[in-house]
Amino acid sequence: MAGGLLQIHDPLKPRGFAVGIDLGTTNSLVAAVIQGKPRAFSVDDGGGLLLPSVVHYAKDGSVIVGGQARVLAGVAPTSTLASVKRFMGRGPEDPAVQALGAYRFARGSTSVVRFEVQGGPPVTPIEVSAEILRTLKRRAEAALTGKVEQAVITVPAYFDDAQRQATRDAGRLAGLDVLRLLNEPTAAALAYGLDKGSQGTFAVYDLGGGTFDISILQLVEGVFQVKSTGGDSALGGDDFDRAIAARFLEHFHLGEQGPAEVTELLAAARAAKEALTSVDATTVSALGRSFPLSRADLETWISPLLQRTGVACRRALKDAGLEKGELDGVILVGGSTRVPAVRRFVANLFGKEPLGDIDPDQVVALGAAVQADLLTNQARQDEVLLLDVIPLSLGLETMGGVAEKLIPRNSAIPTAASQVFTTFQDGQNALDVHVVQGERELVADCRSLARFRLSGIPPMPAGLARVEVRFEVNADGILSVSAKELSTGTSQSITVKPTHGLTDEEIEQMLLDSIEHAEDDIQARQLREQQVEAERILHDARKQLAAFPDLVPAEERTEIEAAMAQVEALRDEATESGPLADAIHALDEVSRPFVERIMNRAVGQVLEGRRVDEVT
Amino acid sequence: MKCWNCQTEAAGNDLCPACGKVQPLASGATLFDVLGLPRGVEVDGPALERAYRERSLRVHPDRVGKEDGRERRLAAERTALLNEAYRTLRSPEARAFYLLKLHGVDLLKDEARAVPVPPALLEEALELREQLEDAQGRGDEETVTALSDRVRTRAATALSAAQSALRRLERVPSDEAARSEAAAAMARLRYHRRFLDAVDAGDEEEI
Repeated sequence: MAGGLLQIHDPLKPRGFAVGIDLGTTNSLVAAVIQGKPRAFSVDDGGGLLLPSVVHYAKDGSVIVGGQARVLAGVAPTSTLASVKRFMGRGPEDPAVQALGAYRFARGSTSVVRFEVQGGPPVTPIEVSAEILRTLKRRAEAALTGKVEQAVITVPAYFDDAQRQATRDAGRLAGLDVLRLLNEPTAAALAYGLDKGSQGTFAVYDLGGGTFDISILQLVEGVFQVKSTGGDSALGGDDFDRAIAARFLEHFHLGEQGPAEVTELLAAARAAKEALTSVDATTVSALGRSFPLSRADLETWISPLLQRTGVACRRALKDAGLEKGELDGVILVGGSTRVPAVRRFVANLFGKEPLGDIDPDQVVALGAAVQADLLTNQARQDEVLLLDVIPLSLGLETMGGVAEKLIPRNSAIPTAASQVFTTFQDGQNALDVHVVQGERELVADCRSLARFRLSGIPPMPAGLARVEVRFEVNADGILSVSAKELSTGTSQSITVKPTHGLTDEEIEQMLLDSIEHAEDDIQARQLREQQVEAERILHDARKQLAAFPDLVPAEERTEIEAAMAQVEALRDEATESGPLADAIHALDEVSRPFVERIMNRAVGQVLEGRRVDEVT
Repeated sequence: MKCWNCQTEAAGNDLCPACGKVQPLASGATLFDVLGLPRGVEVDGPALERAYRERSLRVHPDRVGKEDGRERRLAAERTALLNEAYRTLRSPEARAFYLLKLHGVDLLKDEARAVPVPPALLEEALELREQLEDAQGRGDEETVTALSDRVRTRAATALSAAQSALRRLERVPSDEAARSEAAAAMARLRYHRRFLDAVDAGDEEEI
């Protein structure tokens, strides 16, 4: 991004808006700070704020995102992708990929998961996420009547490097300049308006559809410091649905089901779970059968899942050097925290009633919008500074398959560290570097991020070559690794892409492919043009009605005002340019006689004192 | 040292007093200098927290303009150092390793082999590791806790021995006896730390 100042002074190239995006497993939201307050935008024509993170690929190659896509899941389960966030940055052999779900994976791909869908080639989770981001971007542009170019996108604090890279790539693919990847719990804390005046230590318990995060944050004198973070990137409310579904299948002695049946059953299980937040008993109706379910049953089945979150919470407290009584507040995030058993569990765990004044579904997106504003709005630069951490230790494989940690988890970012290694054979001219992430002792139990070979080491006796491996983690929590041989001054630097990701070339190709979607962009631009036109014509009409009340008969005035109301409503709500253009045209027509009378009077005034034949 | 941007004298300042740009750190600065704290075995906790916050507010990349690539790079470097200093000096153990390194013995690097470890310690360490692995394999929480308590006590003893030697070394940097005493104590601590890390890694597997 070149010269922000230049852009401000260039009226032809207005600087786009910066938004905050919560790219969730189940639902996604987009928000921006407007007149000092964060606000989420409606993502469907009904004014709903939650865009279901579901993408449907149609036979003709078109793509449908959101609620409509969810409806189509029953018809085309394998071409309707939900919860793709679980697959971000994961390889096809990852156990998390094998979880219950109606997907068909493309064969032959080694590094990235690819889903087989109708109407086109297999798609990666990055491309699917980019479709969701693109839809959110478009909705925000319609609401803001302006271009959206920059975004803060949230990720679970527990996301590893590969998952972060994948999220950033998805943003790029959707045409967004990703200002920052922000940890979801941190975003939630920001949304709670913890500003320069407030102080204290807070726990953020975030149980979403597919991920669980816990963070301990401390705010002192305008610095928001993440003390520790933890969680489980494969645990969430979807697992509650799965627990219900599994009991259902067990109860009716049903074996393995097809994709359509699984989808139907999971939808019924989710509906039952949601019903149980307000009633004590309900039924799960699916596959032509009905299964009674009580709140007590649900609580028993999800108890082991809640216990898993408890372990992570205690560890986060320990890492932050705190006892549970030392917290000033507990913030709940994520739709799954609506389950009464979850609230009770959290209150018990931290010995404190959780805060809940902000809608747990919106809180992350609102916080992301605040951070986007803090990063782009010069006037707010010195309000709050956020110091985030990396969630998992970063290390290297050493002899015997042991992981040596270079940067421990919960280290503040940006950060850097280096380690010197040596050769163990005479004349050894290359060294394999294996970068891993995780807390376990053995490399085999950690997440493999990248492997590369540093070659060109000059031949010398074992132990004499000195190879420095340097890790650098930027403010997004994304790692780059370089290596150089020190003793001879021979240096070679390599920046590594994660093993389970896409290469830059692949991303470029996808960007090129996305030009096919340019049609949507043209639509969006036309809509914006009509919105500007609507604003202009409304402004003129209001001014003229006020200036020449005597020139408009009451009946005509009513007609004009009705047409204005129509334009105003469509300016705010239309998702296509057509209806708005029609309304503008109608207003133009109905006010023509009035405008003609104004013109006539103006002409009359100019001509006063002159003879008609002098003019014509 | 003159400001890289406007050539005003800016020595000893995080930001140039004239143009406000982030300045590079003077060469040879220690992690204590990075935080502006007096060098020593002890560090005042609240002063450390305050220095970290105040300096982050000055040099963090989010606080500098987006236009100037050089300033952003400097800000990222300074912040990375600040974070490293905070991480290192906050923990008494990491601080002791770092001080020892300033005195020429880097136990966290490959020079570790240069410090001889008594064979008895090595033998005991291996034996404790075996007992730990057995207990972890059986899921015997009680034994794991008992073993780790035992090793934690030893780690604390080793650390305080190292600290007292380091204090002498800080007063008289040429005190060779203090240097080897500190190095030996820290080498012991390193074994204990490895053991305690293995306990934590074991806990990790349960999650």
